[in-house]
Amino acid sequence: MKQIKLFPHSFQRIGWILLIPFLTLGIANMFFEYNASWLQFRITKGNGLEFFSSHNFTDELAAIGLISSLSFIAFSKEKIEDEAIQFFRLEALQWAVYANYLVLIISILVVYGSTFFQVMTYNMFTVLIIFILRFRYILFQYNKAGI
Amino acid sequence: MKNKIKVQRAIHNLTQDDLAKKIAVSRQTINTMESGKYVPSTALALKMARLFGVPVEELFELEETD
Repeated sequence: MKQIKLFPHSFQRIGWILLIPFLTLGIANMFFEYNASWLQFRITKGNGLEFFSSHNFTDELAAIGLISSLSFIAFSKEKIEDEAIQFFRLEALQWAVYANYLVLIISILVVYGSTFFQVMTYNMFTVLIIFILRFRYILFQYNKAGI
Repeated sequence: MKNKIKVQRAIHNLTQDDLAKKIAVSRQTINTMESGKYVPSTALALKMARLFGVPVEELFELEETD
């Protein structure tokens, strides 16, 4: 049967390990305004971005790191990756997209101004987070049924 | 959809684990198929039918609601 492209099973553990530092970095940056000094870069003049003479890349690193580690957790193979698991995976993904946009619609209606920008920041990760939770829950039930 | 996987498994004296190994799926998949929570692909249905030496119709049956 045609298989969906997924990361190898070992990436699941790598994802969880990477999640800890990137999540810490993200929280530190978002709530405590932490900016790593070694991520401060000067942007050379003459490229039309002069108002950005210097920029800190802590938030960029945290966001990309979080998206990568969550993707590794979400899209790596299970120990035995068979067609039933793939079916449940796709089902969980569809469920996550629905749930995510439902939350977003509610936010659009009730959150305004700069707080909305914050909601959009969280929204970058919610599809993956909801998917992981839903998929793990389905697998938990599936394993329980198998006993 | 109704199925007789469990019956055929008993006839051939196979555990869920044995059947899972023979058709390269997890044991839980056998369990979800037997309980009707998961309907297998045509390829997997044919594999099981071949293993049990019966036509697919013998193993799976449509219900009124299908």
